[in-house]
Amino acid sequence: MDKTNEGVEEEYKIIKGKNPVLSRRNIFFIIVSFMVIVLFYFLPTPDGLRPDGKMMIGILLMGGVLWIAEPIPLAVTGLLIMIIQPILGIMPAGDVFSSFGNQAVFFLIGAFILAGALEKHGLHKRIALKFLGYFEKKPKMFTFGIMISCAFLSFIMPEHGVAAMFLPIVVSILIAMRITPRKSNFGKISMLSIAYGCSIGSLGTLIGGARNPLTIGMLADLEQPIIVSFFDWMTYSMPVVFISLPLVWLILQISFPIEIKNIASAKTEINRQVSRSGKMGKHELTVLCIMIFTVILWIFVSSPTYFSLAVIAILGSILLFFTGCITWKDVEQRVPWGIILLYGGAITLGIGMQKTGAGAWIAHLLFNVAGNNPYLVIFGLIILTILLTNIMSNVGAVAILLPIGVAIATEIPGVSPLLASMLIALSGGLAFMFVIATPGNAITYSAGYFSSRDLLRAGVVANIACIGVIFLVAIIYWKGVLGL
Amino acid sequence: MFKNILIPISSEFYQKEIFQTGAFLAEKFDSTIKLIYIIEEKTLDQTEKRLDSYRTDFDKAETKKEIIRKHIHAADTIVFDDAKLFFKNIPFNEEVIEGAFSTVIKGQLNKYKYDLILMGFEKECLLHYRLFEEVDIPIWVESGTDEKSILAVCSNLAPNQKVPEMSLRLSKTLGWDLHMVYVVDIQDAVEVDSNGKRSEKKSENALLERGQQFISEMEKKGIDVTLVKGSLEKETAKAAEDIGAGLVILGREQKKKSILGIPVKGMKRKMAETCKYSILFVN
Repeated sequence: MDKTNEGVEEEYKIIKGKNPVLSRRNIFFIIVSFMVIVLFYFLPTPDGLRPDGKMMIGILLMGGVLWIAEPIPLAVTGLLIMIIQPILGIMPAGDVFSSFGNQAVFFLIGAFILAGALEKHGLHKRIALKFLGYFEKKPKMFTFGIMISCAFLSFIMPEHGVAAMFLPIVVSILIAMRITPRKSNFGKISMLSIAYGCSIGSLGTLIGGARNPLTIGMLADLEQPIIVSFFDWMTYSMPVVFISLPLVWLILQISFPIEIKNIASAKTEINRQVSRSGKMGKHELTVLCIMIFTVILWIFVSSPTYFSLAVIAILGSILLFFTGCITWKDVEQRVPWGIILLYGGAITLGIGMQKTGAGAWIAHLLFNVAGNNPYLVIFGLIILTILLTNIMSNVGAVAILLPIGVAIATEIPGVSPLLASMLIALSGGLAFMFVIATPGNAITYSAGYFSSRDLLRAGVVANIACIGVIFLVAIIYWKGVLGL
Repeated sequence: MFKNILIPISSEFYQKEIFQTGAFLAEKFDSTIKLIYIIEEKTLDQTEKRLDSYRTDFDKAETKKEIIRKHIHAADTIVFDDAKLFFKNIPFNEEVIEGAFSTVIKGQLNKYKYDLILMGFEKECLLHYRLFEEVDIPIWVESGTDEKSILAVCSNLAPNQKVPEMSLRLSKTLGWDLHMVYVVDIQDAVEVDSNGKRSEKKSENALLERGQQFISEMEKKGIDVTLVKGSLEKETAKAAEDIGAGLVILGREQKKKSILGIPVKGMKRKMAETCKYSILFVN
């Protein structure tokens, strides 16, 4: 394989004299984002809002522009949000940086180290192949198997890692079956099942997506803190997962009726990959045991004061070092530190919105416009989150909407901060419509088995269905049964 | 005429029908074929950008390697295997290249001499198809239609030198019926000379007169031409529909349709997007 465009591009660079660092598009959006701050600086402060609250809204919008357009890395936007608050005199630097030491940050670090160990030893691949083996009888059930396997693995590791792992497995199977890219509905459903299975599965536990610990971190930092345990989260989210998975699978079957009848070659390919993996090694077994041990502690033993989620996550990570299953080099290679910075920015944004009263002011504004019907508010929050998460990073979408959602909850009787936060956190994970919406969509699109139009077609219907699911679960289960 | 044919296939989409057309043309013109499978750099970059902040450089590199590996596997197992079935007695070479579609093709044209690019077209993908405007050899955009007639399109917006000659030769060699139409495009009322230069705005009568002149010249060569007045794109589509064209031959059209004074480019791409027939851009 060889790069034939190098000569053309190099010639261009030599003629121009230097390599461009930022494109014109990126410079444009950076300028727009700073203009927002300048604009808010000179705008008169509205009634009922403090000057620091006004600037906080400006920072929120600046963050929104930067997280949607991504002219700079998401993590750098997180850093910018952190430092601009003390620069503008909104919050002391000590307060800003201390919120970065939130327990949820360390939970995230621990979870990433555990996931890194799974990836290093290929344990996630072994689990995936084992799962797929149970569904290899018929084409439709096979696609369901892909979705279930992706969802299950997204309970114990970040969803984008699951998508990246599943891609070569499923593509190998499709190639073995001689499925032509873009032409086969079976190929389309197989790849879309990876993307959607990972997204839906990531809602199930705190590990599946960084937005989940962000939510519990923000709830713990409220003036009246709300503590959500690992088991609590599962209790709230699993009904959404268990209803959405078969529903979205059904939508895919109807959107792209499967044309093949026989998947014997899929079975052969899975067996070939299983035999290539060989027997489970000592380190793989150790990682599996530590993972099970950590999850059991999270579910049954964690307590907010001493033996918290973060403590257990770091304990599990340290056990990996003690047993030689992971080295610091592996951690450097596999832990995305950028997301920790993104997370830090998101947390300080939420705290800033809360402390300055900006969130409450926005909520009051929306309340005047939309009225105080709790069902309308719930529905509105779900729709807004899903629309936003489809055009930007889901952590960014949740970071922007959580403080507003929590503030709205203080205005509307019948909607608690916990309810509003869960609505936003779960809806934030359901980005089904665009290739750029989530890493899972982008990874699966890159294999070439479905077009952006296929994704949009299926994604619109799946998103509408999931809006209904979350709404009904919120009304009947969260409010009705659990009393959230 | 088409001795060396380049068939580029993008990882964004794959149309098996181009092999059928490729084999047909290769038999008629005794051609050799070069098949290149292009792993789209844009898709890889998009994926990498999406994974920023979520995955480390190490993980992103691993994912990229896996995607490339799978594309190479798909190219070998599906695309090149299909090609072998169609090109049984036809000499062809195959290669997998990572890069941007148009840039890779232009690179190939710089390295080797080709007489024709034969490609598929997919609207819903990341490609911009810059090569429609940027290369100067004929590009055949295959639609997979079974019709066997040619519609040659000339107009006031093109030099009209290569299209009549090429359409006559193709019609004779392939054994397909030839129809020719001269479109007086009144939306863009200019004349394009033999060097591809646009004139000042002309009156409708002047353009029609020019069209009649062209028709007389073609009559001397034994070709019947129909004169129509309207938008180039719409009249082409209408004529193609009327005669059931399998292939439409278009020349170096220099259409610039202004919206609020801003020139709009990409007429060739728009035609490829909207038409149901194959198009041969004679550049």
